[in-house]
Amino acid sequence: MKVLELNDVHKIYNETEVEVHAVNGVNLDFEEGEFAAIVGPSGSGKTTLLNMIGGLDKPSSGKILVDGKDLAKFKSSEIIDFRMRNIGFVFQSYNLIPVLTAKENVEFIMSLQKMPKAERERRTMELLESVGLGDRANSRPSKLSGGQQQRIAVARALASKPKFILADEPTANLDSKSTANLLEIMEKLNKEENITFIFSTHDARVVKKARRVITLEDGKIVSDKIH
Amino acid sequence: MITKTAWKNIWRNKVRSLVVIGSVAVGIFCGVFAIGVMEGAMKQRIDSALNNEVSDIQLTNPDFRSNNDLVYSISNAGAIRSKITKVDGVESVASRTVVIGMANSASKSQGVQINGIIPSEEKEVFTLYKELAPETGEYFSKEKGYGYAYIGVDLAKSLNIIRYIVDDDLFGVLREQQVPEKTIEKLYRFKDTRFKNEKSFKKELKDVLDKTELQKYGYIIRKEAENFSQRARLTLSFLDSENNMTGGRFRIVGLYDIPNSMYENMQVFVMQDQLLDLIGSENIVHELIVKVSDPGQASDVAGELSGLFPDLQVMTWQKLAPDLAMMSEMTGIMYGFFMGIILAALAFGIVNTMLMVVLERTRELGMLSAIGMNKKKIFRMIMTESVFLSLSGGLVGMVLGKILIWASSKNGISLTSMKEGFEGMGFSAIIYPDIGNDFFLLVVILIIITGILSSIYPALKALNLDTAEALRTE
Repeated sequence: MKVLELNDVHKIYNETEVEVHAVNGVNLDFEEGEFAAIVGPSGSGKTTLLNMIGGLDKPSSGKILVDGKDLAKFKSSEIIDFRMRNIGFVFQSYNLIPVLTAKENVEFIMSLQKMPKAERERRTMELLESVGLGDRANSRPSKLSGGQQQRIAVARALASKPKFILADEPTANLDSKSTANLLEIMEKLNKEENITFIFSTHDARVVKKARRVITLEDGKIVSDKIH
Repeated sequence: MITKTAWKNIWRNKVRSLVVIGSVAVGIFCGVFAIGVMEGAMKQRIDSALNNEVSDIQLTNPDFRSNNDLVYSISNAGAIRSKITKVDGVESVASRTVVIGMANSASKSQGVQINGIIPSEEKEVFTLYKELAPETGEYFSKEKGYGYAYIGVDLAKSLNIIRYIVDDDLFGVLREQQVPEKTIEKLYRFKDTRFKNEKSFKKELKDVLDKTELQKYGYIIRKEAENFSQRARLTLSFLDSENNMTGGRFRIVGLYDIPNSMYENMQVFVMQDQLLDLIGSENIVHELIVKVSDPGQASDVAGELSGLFPDLQVMTWQKLAPDLAMMSEMTGIMYGFFMGIILAALAFGIVNTMLMVVLERTRELGMLSAIGMNKKKIFRMIMTESVFLSLSGGLVGMVLGKILIWASSKNGISLTSMKEGFEGMGFSAIIYPDIGNDFFLLVVILIIITGILSSIYPALKALNLDTAEALRTE
């Protein structure tokens, strides 16, 4: 079942009167449960593409359909709500809320969804257990290592039971041990819960784990291989 | 969760938040205390006016107030008084005979209002009998009634009835009052001198004491040098019912001292039967003065009395003393305005802090938007932070203000060096700060409004952030 379709997507920036074609006619489909990596050199358009898929940015032309719904047709308030319910984000620099504990960071999105407290707490602990950090629930991000923080970020991304998770260079700030650990967790969640993962990455270790690798260059897809 | 996060957010930068909280606390503390002092002074003024000067309601002949003529009296006052006492809400009634005349001492005269009273009735309505200046006699009694007058300290001064004596006793009292020996020595040249009036004593003091000494000890020296002879007399003269000049000599039974020098200078009290004898009439009553059991019900009782006695003019204290009524009505608005000015100044600091918060947390705000926190919730979070900041400071300021008001209300704040100025305006020079709890509710509401208003501009800045752009911020 297709969860995501990109039809002839373009993104043009008009910085300092010079047009920059960041994404140039991309056509892509993602099936439910994929574990895909978008690779390419810096400036190839990976992050721009992920931002458009996540509804953080709008394409200059073309269509992005999530579950058959055209993101361009949403109002800005609707798209925020849509993101909350359908898309999980994992960022390169974790972006956890520093004043909240690991548990509260994961719980935050569920409270935005007005999930009952008891259910929220149960799911939070489940998610923290699934990323192997059940014992660090009450720690603040500053007391956790980079790898642990990124695992919390993954748990947070999963909190709203999204259709897919977009991860922008999730291992860029991690050492090899933490990277391996994080990939193992994400792969497990992908397999066990059938959640679609789409990464942008430079990291060969991530590419090696991905079952589909899409290569971008100058905003165009130059290869799309399934391993 | 948004509220919890907002509370935790304000402690991210403890120093910065504490500076804002501290400035709000100081501002609110000063505002609350200043208003406590104003409110205390105002309450004392109104209480004194109601208890000593006008009471709650007065009934008069409709022409009496504009003409002040003897003939405009209340006919059948005794029966009316009895009926009034039976009205619900009426606590007591006093009747007065009022004439305008002159008070004369051996050396001076002054225009006064002479009030013929029945002391037992007066004591039920007014507390003026309690306001006796120390060592100046007593209030009317069985032994001291007919032939006696109860007058104000300021009138006694104006008529040169109070003299100023500098002697060894004065020096001793001044030493007890911690007046420096150096200052006392300067008074030795006046030893055993008797000054006829305050003006001449003041003038001499001005020549020997320097400005600071005058400011600090001038009042104490004058006060302690005051000498009142209980044998003092005065003459009261006025026109009788036939328009012939009449009058009598009165001993002074006692001097009253209230924080209203104008009233003290004007109002003289004598026994009603003696005044009627001098007027040459048996029973003339000009004022029926009513004290109600619940001051809040004064208007209702006045309305009922107007219905019962349509031929009389019925006035509540608000109409009898419109200046006080206006002050009393304006205080709420004035306090709100005063606190508003303080909070408006503090708002600039809060806006600045919240702008820094938004600037520092740009990437985090982008992340919150990305994970699904809508604009309304982001706005609410920033607004809540701003309200928490201002409210934390506000609560500290209010608590400290209340403590200082409570502490200073025990002994009062003495401004005796400015006593004349205060009493000239009808205010006491010893102020007992006071503030009602409803005022704190007003302050809390104003602080919340300030917090909300201060957050609007920073919150709008946060809402205008482009999510993708914000996420790229370092």
